[in-house]
Amino acid sequence: MIPGVSVEGLSKSFPGTRTPVLDNVNLTVEAGTCTALLGPSGAGKSTLLRAISGLETPDVGRVLVGGQDMAEVLPERRGMAMVQQRPLLFPHLNVLDNIAFAGTVRGVPKKAARADAAAFLELVQLEGFGRRPVTALSGGQAQRVAIARALAARPAVLLLDEPFSALDPELRAAMHELLAQLRRSVNPTVLLVTHDRSEAAAVAEKIALFSGGRMLQHDSVERMYSRPATLETSRLMGGANEIPGIVRDGYHHSVLGVLQLPGDTRQPPGPGVLLVRQESIEVGARNGIGILATVTGLRTLGPRRQISLDVAGALMLAEVPWGRALAPGDAVALSIPTSVLAVVAAPETARTFPDVGEEPQITGQGRNALASIEN
Amino acid sequence: MRTKMATPSPAGPRTWLPGTLMVVPAVVLAAFVVIGGMVTALAQSLGLFPLVGPPSLTVAAYGAHAADLPVGIALSLAIATVSTVVACVVGFSAALIIVQGKWCGKLVAALGTLTIPVPHIVGAASISLLLADSGLLARLFNNGGQWPELVGGPWWIGVVAEYGWKESAFVALVVTGTLATRAVSYDETAALLGAGRLRRLRHILIPLSLPALTVSATIVFVYSLGSYEVAWLLGRAYPEPLPVMALRLFNAATLTSRPEAAAVAILTTVLSMAAVAASLAYLRRSALWR
Repeated sequence: MIPGVSVEGLSKSFPGTRTPVLDNVNLTVEAGTCTALLGPSGAGKSTLLRAISGLETPDVGRVLVGGQDMAEVLPERRGMAMVQQRPLLFPHLNVLDNIAFAGTVRGVPKKAARADAAAFLELVQLEGFGRRPVTALSGGQAQRVAIARALAARPAVLLLDEPFSALDPELRAAMHELLAQLRRSVNPTVLLVTHDRSEAAAVAEKIALFSGGRMLQHDSVERMYSRPATLETSRLMGGANEIPGIVRDGYHHSVLGVLQLPGDTRQPPGPGVLLVRQESIEVGARNGIGILATVTGLRTLGPRRQISLDVAGALMLAEVPWGRALAPGDAVALSIPTSVLAVVAAPETARTFPDVGEEPQITGQGRNALASIEN
Repeated sequence: MRTKMATPSPAGPRTWLPGTLMVVPAVVLAAFVVIGGMVTALAQSLGLFPLVGPPSLTVAAYGAHAADLPVGIALSLAIATVSTVVACVVGFSAALIIVQGKWCGKLVAALGTLTIPVPHIVGAASISLLLADSGLLARLFNNGGQWPELVGGPWWIGVVAEYGWKESAFVALVVTGTLATRAVSYDETAALLGAGRLRRLRHILIPLSLPALTVSATIVFVYSLGSYEVAWLLGRAYPEPLPVMALRLFNAATLTSRPEAAAVAILTTVLSMAAVAASLAYLRRSALWR
């Protein structure tokens, strides 16, 4: 039976650091699911993974696997396997013997361990590579072997510490597909550390967002994007539009007008910042129905374009596909579905980020409009 | 019409030149000393550089001590082999402690670093003061004159102890240099694949250390085989290890014994080269070395 993983009140500090690397982290990962530990560098994600695996001892708190406290359990007895950014294939063993390693150290006869390893090699689509030295593999092949080696240990919990971050985009997409396929056939509980939002969304059912050693939010991928609990979460999830205003009777009053909020909004009446994902805004012709806005800038984002907009004094961003002629100064109408709106507490509760302004961007005209709403 | 294009060399046409030029002075100096010394000793052992009389090609010097040479060879090989094994076991254990990075590892590293610059002759004198039947330990554990013959005894324990102590520090630092950069990550990976401490030692740490251990063991073996001062100070007068015999013959009043000393030195060199050749052959078969 595949166990789930729970972390209760876990804190960890390293000597010489003033702030804890992990600060009272509580996390529950259900059996057989995949949770991405997402956050910027230094957020404490990898330390959490190492604490779960037993490679680091927490200062406070405990790790439970299938309800059993792991405090006295050595890493080799926790039923976990880890794949890191570097494949760390044992250089003195060939590909097949690397995969057979877990069986060999368990005392499985060499022939049987190799036969078992060959099946996992096939699972990662590298049949015929068994006798090669590990130095003869490309980066992607080496990472596949590392995953096969981890899976051959039959782990109840698979820990992935940025395993695909050194691969090129095509190979990463292939590895995401491979992981999904492996999960269907082996189904361990998976914790994936990544700083890439797209990867977290592509691979995991849930995301646990970390910043400064704290877990900010743990939720489904969709809700992490559409219902961030704080401004900090919204910003770390890439949200760009923050409109200050007032919440009254299930509506948000701001320079955008009066917008009905989704039924699951928990923000109490009073000041609240409206969050609108830039991907969720539809930009149409001025003669259409919607919020009137003026295009102030355009930026290419590969297959899409990012449009800067002035909406009655509030500066917003939207992302649209190519195909429609747009230029600075064009008048447009914005359509924002109610289901994509979220409201969080006012910005003074948000933490400061070096690259993001503390205050939502708003012009003098917008500020006057907001003042009239508040009065 | 197809145009044949030259394939550029991946390393570039002259990238090897600066590196080669930089090592030339060291190579020339080493070659002059090693090859020059060996050629001179070989010529002298074959009667081509006699101190008196005309040169005459002969192998008489190699047969002059035919009765003592097999014993000397066996004794030298035994001392070198046992000293190498002791140095490797102690040095590898010390390296494992050092790479753990804890306080005891730092202490062992400091002790090892302090040991390296001590000359062997000072080490031999210290071992004598410590282990001889009139030494510190014998006085400390006075047991009525029953102290074993550790120095000058039949088992050459003092000699092996000196080489084992000094060379284990060398082995420890060489192996630590190899393990320090990767041992921890491979060790952790193996642990998470279910390998306990002993399995990790057997399947990961020993194989990863083997090239460095082989190279340092070869150096220790060749050094223990060829150096005379420790065996001369701490060993018996008879039988003699090869380097002690070569030194005695070289310093003898009889002028004709110089070729015999050179013959013993050449035999020692051949044994050392055979050890180095065997070591390199083994390393070439190793996946890590390749």
